Amino acid sequence: MARNSHEKRAERQWLLILLPSLVLLLAFVIYPALYSIYLSFTNEALTGAAALRPRFVGLRNYTRLFNDAKFWNSLFVTFVFVIGSAVIGQFVLGLISAVALRRPIRFRRVFSSIILLPNAAPEVVAGFMWISMLAGGDNATLSRIVSFFGITPADWLQVFPLSMIIVVNTWRGIATAMILLTAGLSTIPAEIYEAARMDGATPSQMFRRITLPLMMPTILLYMLISAVSTIAVFGLVYALTRGGPGGATEVVSIYIYNQSFTAFQLGYGAAVAVVALVISLILGIAYVRAMKVEV
Amino acid sequence: MAVVSPSETANKGRSDLIAYATLSLISIFCAVPFFWVLLASLDGNAQLFLHWPEQWTFANYVRVFTKEDGAKWLFNSLFVVASATLLVMVLSGLGGYALSRTRAWWKLPFLYAILLIRVLPPTALVVPLYKFLLTLNNAEAAVLRPIFGSYTRDIMRWTGFIDGYLGLILVLATMQLPLALWIMKTFFDGLPRDYEEAALMDGATLIQRIRRVLIPLALPGLAAAGLFAFMSAWGDFLLPLIFLSSPELQTLPLGLFRAFLRINEIDYGLLTALAFIYLLPAVVAFGFARRFLVQTFSGGVKG
Repeated sequence: MARNSHEKRAERQWLLILLPSLVLLLAFVIYPALYSIYLSFTNEALTGAAALRPRFVGLRNYTRLFNDAKFWNSLFVTFVFVIGSAVIGQFVLGLISAVALRRPIRFRRVFSSIILLPNAAPEVVAGFMWISMLAGGDNATLSRIVSFFGITPADWLQVFPLSMIIVVNTWRGIATAMILLTAGLSTIPAEIYEAARMDGATPSQMFRRITLPLMMPTILLYMLISAVSTIAVFGLVYALTRGGPGGATEVVSIYIYNQSFTAFQLGYGAAVAVVALVISLILGIAYVRAMKVEV
Repeated sequence: MAVVSPSETANKGRSDLIAYATLSLISIFCAVPFFWVLLASLDGNAQLFLHWPEQWTFANYVRVFTKEDGAKWLFNSLFVVASATLLVMVLSGLGGYALSRTRAWWKLPFLYAILLIRVLPPTALVVPLYKFLLTLNNAEAAVLRPIFGSYTRDIMRWTGFIDGYLGLILVLATMQLPLALWIMKTFFDGLPRDYEEAALMDGATLIQRIRRVLIPLALPGLAAAGLFAFMSAWGDFLLPLIFLSSPELQTLPLGLFRAFLRINEIDYGLLTALAFIYLLPAVVAFGFARRFLVQTFSGGVKG
């Protein structure tokens, strides 16, 4: 009995130690998340009459959302952005790097350091670097490189805006994919490959029959993590195109920002934010469930 | 075992060659954009496109610190990010310890909840955060003004929630907390409890145990949590963009961004020198974090 009350006191002590973190998370994450749900039912604005006296407008923001072509465009652009850069670009290049780096070749550390480099570049610097690569028409760095191979130069960010932000985000995320997939690859026992080699399996057969199936849990986890982090990308796209030209790169996070801080429609921006929160949360729950299976 | 058939060595050599070729291509893709920042910053006649400098110079770097606001931006960024990092280290050190040692029912739900929190996109939170911080800011000003009068503005520069550093520091730290708490919890899980129990036997209080036994043992974990917090907070652009508006409070990413917006008069030498200074701490931190990075991610894969 005495021991029990002692334990109870000890448990309360742990909660007390955790309390400061809990307070910050409640104040600056949970409360804003709930507040944005509330805001999405009002006509709150940053300036004008609604800023002084916001009204409850029910589902009006959501019905407007439903008929807003720019909102659907931003969802579509985000979808293409996530599929193109996270699910395909980063994954393919990350997997190739991870597989190649498993071979006992020289300069492995040099290669992996260089591939990790883009991940360290702050969003804004990454944006500027790629403006230098892409902007300036015939003078752009990329134009000069490809014209060497006989390809017609272009004003890349104007002609292929969405493809270009996909390329840049791919560039930035190869490292994450590579690290995760390397970790996943290292859990596959070498004996399986030995046995397959004995049976005369070719490298591509081994990749399809052994590597891919055994890597499936890691790949699933990677897809969820990278999709979630790509939905959150803001600074990179903002620095590169700010959503333009003509909404071609207006991902959801840019659309929220534009609605809230350029058009000053906080209530409407919040409704878009709630959609983004729900999508991320669904992916997040899938991620937590995937983790739980592994625990 | 020593017998290797000729076709097998040829095969091995060919796959090695493929590995070299693909890794070289990917590395070039990764590295080329960095050359512009590096070369243009050392170029007396820097341009938007990549080219080999004709006159090498450090003048751009000198100008960043003497003629422009570079030194101010760098100081502001260092102050804000270092404060946030320190806060994250203290809170995640304490919280991670609690999460590792407690057996209370709230432990698992809490751990999964902060994983979910990490998933929420910051852009979707900044509008309500802005409104909330504005309310806190006005309340603070209302309390301070009768006491400090015209000095209130100077005090609010440091303690304000909007257009003041305190708000930015607290929000930056909170955004980094979930990952840091996970890192510290996992780290403490790996620490044997023998030392603490020995200290407990000696009659040490919880605070004494934390200060004399745990902090020295926890330093590697705290370093990892701190590095991750520093890297993310250092690279963050959205929060200072929305929470800071006064020119004298600008941080490096904002200064850099605004410098780039001066469309017809962009000084690329100056800009790239500034960008390189901003890039450097991130790359150095990343170099240190590399080891932890692999562990953290592989830990994530295994659960």
